Amino acid sequence: MSPSALDELIEALRCLPGVGPRSAHRMAYHLLQRDQPGAGRLARALERALAALRHCERCNTFSEETVCRRCSDPQRDAALLCVVEMPADLAMIEQTHAYSGLYYVLMGRLSPLDGMGPRELRLDKLLARATDGRVREVILATNFTNEGEATAHMISELLVPRGLKVSRLSRGVPVGGELEHTDSGTIAQALVERRSL
Amino acid sequence: MSIRQRIEQQPSFVLHSYPWRETSLIVEMLSRDHGRVAMVAKGARRPMSALRGVLMAFQPLRVDWSGGGEVKTLVRAEWQGGQPLLQGRALLCGYYLNELLVRLSAREDPHPALFEAYAAALAELARARSPSPVLRRFELALLRELGYGIGLDVDADSGEPVDAGAHYLYIIEKGPVAAGADAADARAVSGRTLLDMARGEFERAETLQQSRDLLRRLIHHYLGGQPLESRRVLKEFQEL
Ligand SMILES: [Zn+2]
Repeated sequence: MSPSALDELIEALRCLPGVGPRSAHRMAYHLLQRDQPGAGRLARALERALAALRHCERCNTFSEETVCRRCSDPQRDAALLCVVEMPADLAMIEQTHAYSGLYYVLMGRLSPLDGMGPRELRLDKLLARATDGRVREVILATNFTNEGEATAHMISELLVPRGLKVSRLSRGVPVGGELEHTDSGTIAQALVERRSL
Repeated sequence: MSIRQRIEQQPSFVLHSYPWRETSLIVEMLSRDHGRVAMVAKGARRPMSALRGVLMAFQPLRVDWSGGGEVKTLVRAEWQGGQPLLQGRALLCGYYLNELLVRLSAREDPHPALFEAYAAALAELARARSPSPVLRRFELALLRELGYGIGLDVDADSGEPVDAGAHYLYIIEKGPVAAGADAADARAVSGRTLLDMARGEFERAETLQQSRDLLRRLIHHYLGGQPLESRRVLKEFQEL
């Protein structure tokens, strides 16, 4: 017997991260009972996104074009390439209006115990992008977690021997931060990475 | 189990963690007195969670947990400090140590000496120029502490002490035996290497190279032939 349409919807919703059987039930009933127009919109948006979106050839983030609008913008400095883990990180850096170079989005991070290595991260693709002849400096803006650090290390080991300048976001006490309310790990590392004035 | 245990202020390290439900984490912890323990850190993935920055691998913590089942509930975790963040190659080596512990040690099988060996290895990795001797010392400590009885200084056939000038073949589950005519075998190790290993001295070049191959064979055996992800990742990286 094939599963009912309801069962199939509940099962499909469980592919979302963190959604177990109970949440999937709740979502399915909500969509069918309380918000049918919303459900229709969701179905159409999903279908369209699946058909239209691919990875930008240059920055690897989602794009409807082969090369996304940001990567084809002549105003941006093609000598600077900022590497981030996820599209959300790119959005945060864009919000600062402090950066006018281009990006590369890894769509993940190195995590050896989860089987996420250079092959899964497609570091060969980043290598090709960074050595296009125009990039002069690569800014590593992966997270300050162990995984983000390991990712940054591997990338710098790949790019430095190829003559690129590689830099890493600096870390320390947040702007406006008071020592009294900063976590000890951050203060300890800020001491290690202190700079002379 | 109906017994609700509560453990407090237990010295521990995070070995691995992965997302659980919408906002939580499952953490594999290495604790000093309770061995490897899995626990759920509720809400640890919420943006403002105080646990978020604390539950970092390779950092000494003090942890409270409760519960009697296989997966405990983390109650509190405090960062202890004193261990510099691992960086670069040392960090990749740290993942290797963690994978060894996750794969080879049993849950809730306490080995305080293994905990100390791990903490010492992390401290050394953060300082040492070459990680290799640190890794070898830890691999050997791990196998011995888990009860694999790695004999090094006695010939397993003759019962004689190992001779620094002779060559040996290492038979897994048995120990070193005089190589005799097989002294040229690529897997033969010198008596000097075995004695260095028994003393925990891995600085000599030949000892370093021969002990690496021998320990790799032993670990491969005790892992049942299953490859290590952290080793694969390192290898792929070197091939790029
Ligand atoms: Zn792009």
